[in-house]
Amino acid sequence: MAWAEVAVAATDAKPCRGDKAGAIIAAALALPGVTAHAESAPERGVVALKYLNYKDSQPGLDRIAVNAPSIYVLAPISPRWAVDGSLVSDSVSGATPRYHTAISGATPRMTDKRLAGNVQVTRYFERSNVAIGLASSNENDYNSKAGSLNASFSSDDNNTTWNVGLGYASDKIGSTNDATLHETKQTSELLLGVTQDWTANDLIQLNFTLNSGRGYFSDPYKSVDNRPRERDQAIALARWNHYFAGAGGALRSAYRFYRDTFGIKAHTLGAEWVQSVGRFTITPSLRLYTQNAAKFYFDPIYDPDVGAPYPPGYFTNPPQYSSADQRLAAFGAVTVGLQIGVNIGADWLVDLKAERYEQRTGWRVIGTGSPGLDPFQATWLQVGVEKRF
Amino acid sequence: MNSYGFGFEAMSSSCEIRLDGDDEHALAEAAERAIEEVRRIELKYSRYRDDSIVSRINAAAGRSEWVEVDAETASLLDFAGSLHALSDGLFDITSGVLRRAWDFRSGRVPEAAGLQALLPLIGWPQVEWSRVNAPDRRIRLPRAGMELDFGGFGKEYAADRAMATLAVAGLRHGFVNLGGDIRVLGARSDGGAWRFGIQHPRNAEGTIASVDMTEGALASSGDYERFFELDGRRYCHILDPRTGWPVSSWASVSVTAPACAAAGALSTIAMLKGDEALAFLATQGATYLAVDTALRTFHPELPAAQPFFSGEHE
Amino acid sequence: MSPAIAMEHFLITPSRSSRAVCALIAAAALGGCAFAPPQPWEKGNLAKPQMSMGRDPLDQAFTQHIYGSKEAASGGYGVGGGGCGCN
Repeated sequence: MAWAEVAVAATDAKPCRGDKAGAIIAAALALPGVTAHAESAPERGVVALKYLNYKDSQPGLDRIAVNAPSIYVLAPISPRWAVDGSLVSDSVSGATPRYHTAISGATPRMTDKRLAGNVQVTRYFERSNVAIGLASSNENDYNSKAGSLNASFSSDDNNTTWNVGLGYASDKIGSTNDATLHETKQTSELLLGVTQDWTANDLIQLNFTLNSGRGYFSDPYKSVDNRPRERDQAIALARWNHYFAGAGGALRSAYRFYRDTFGIKAHTLGAEWVQSVGRFTITPSLRLYTQNAAKFYFDPIYDPDVGAPYPPGYFTNPPQYSSADQRLAAFGAVTVGLQIGVNIGADWLVDLKAERYEQRTGWRVIGTGSPGLDPFQATWLQVGVEKRF
Repeated sequence: MNSYGFGFEAMSSSCEIRLDGDDEHALAEAAERAIEEVRRIELKYSRYRDDSIVSRINAAAGRSEWVEVDAETASLLDFAGSLHALSDGLFDITSGVLRRAWDFRSGRVPEAAGLQALLPLIGWPQVEWSRVNAPDRRIRLPRAGMELDFGGFGKEYAADRAMATLAVAGLRHGFVNLGGDIRVLGARSDGGAWRFGIQHPRNAEGTIASVDMTEGALASSGDYERFFELDGRRYCHILDPRTGWPVSSWASVSVTAPACAAAGALSTIAMLKGDEALAFLATQGATYLAVDTALRTFHPELPAAQPFFSGEHE
Repeated sequence: MSPAIAMEHFLITPSRSSRAVCALIAAAALGGCAFAPPQPWEKGNLAKPQMSMGRDPLDQAFTQHIYGSKEAASGGYGVGGGGCGCN
């Protein structure tokens, strides 16, 4: 059988189909029962196991180590219903500074276990789906229960999908250092997003999230840590996947802008190149992050009389809020990563991912970083196996 | 998964429902329901059955009584009205009366007087139709002898509805093919596309191009479906409602669209539009393959007409 | 008739052609128009696993959790996870 290909114009002569389907297509789609392209549950179920090994440190101090096995299951029940859920068990051990990056002020070595799980039920309709989820996270000093409602709506041509999400979480916070601490925090979240097939090789996603939290935000294990009892966040996320047919690879990039009422503004830029090589998939990745400091964060300059960890004038003129938590300082961070996945048969996927993260105040992109903080490094490894049914 | 083809005859064509799946009985049952839907539409809008809604409307032509129609018929009448407007009057479901003048089996060109006598019976604007939004959906053909003919989009509509029946049953891999009017249910079971050939307009055994699809519809209109040739001139069954004469610019037009009703309407109107066909298809945002009577092919992705590829006629 | 051949020729005529030269209509074009939402048969590349937006929920959960506990910013990808007392 011989085939001849019509020369396909890879030129700019392609007419711009910027407007959507013409009037006749729209009229046909309005006929009853013509567009029953049933949005349906995933066809195959999935069971995935993944194991995380994480270690972080700063010069002169190994800090936290985490070992976390996790499992994920997706079970389509019928073309209309699917259930999915996951479970993760973190074993955390190590020490963290009580304030700034002071080693001598580090908490004594501790171990903790966290068990978290979630389950979600999704109902599929012709052009949409709705999902209800419950999540719970438990450790000896922190309990969180959350619920969520998510809905997706697709256009007739399936090129545009609108997403709406509502979430509510209620947390109970305690402290192993202070048995009298019984605090709570409630958070509400709203997400509005759209995913668009931009061209035959481009996928774009835009998400806007608003988050409102009330309650206890301070870190009970950090010294001089007294944060506002409310925190509202606004997040904009733009993602772009572009497929390079010639190379057989895709470039996935994302930019996220974050701001909150703690005064923090952060930018995140990430990119990964997903390259298929036979049954292997190789994905190098790079992530750049920068944030400014929270309004109430204070630098490691201490009161000349009282000394660390108190900021100058802490007792004579007490600040309303304060924190010496380096995570609220101004800094930049870089992550480099590499993932290698291999498909075994039609059903199995095994992958290995290694990432290296470094956080430095000198790397803050806009403006200067907070002084007096040591660099922070972390390395983590994920090993995963997945089977489809 | 295995691939099963369920063949049947309907709407004067060879039809097939193809489904990929594991449970042959379940697939056969779903295919049977889809075939029933096709037959339901065929019977409901058939000119040959006295009890069909179309026959009842046609029988009441020229009389003072109105014929009430149901929601489905009302939607199709509105669709016909939209097509009339969007084609500048070329797509007209009252033009079926021209059948009385043109006999493609005998191959005779009608008398001019005979055609002239039929022209006053043609014209969608004459039809008294209350439109689908009106509380009472009723229609009247004002002149005796006027007829409605749903043949211009009935098969394509049936292909869409049959596909919907399969989708509602939860199936996802397969397609409905009613004599060349195709609506895809979903990709093949391995995720790949179905490949459909577009018939060569001058070689009944051959294809001129093929399209890979995982969803959407494909329909074609051509001067080769019903025609006769006399003195070197081809007379085909696609007739201009304004003159009663066949169109002659295109050998075939194939259109892909999200729904078969759209693909069929676009391809038929393109045939009727003659030299303005490509501009019309461009404004409608359609993707098409048009073949003119000199067998040059036109496609929106190509900057100019491409020479026809030989090798077909062996 | 093998299914592959039957599929290509069944729709046109009952008989099968001995040979056909087929021109493939492939609609992918690089560059050209900026916004060109694909037709249904052009979505093959978008469906590839490399192009998915959220393919690996466990990886995403771990990664978001790590960044959320080491940086001030978090979220933006979806709603629904609970909090934690991460150090």
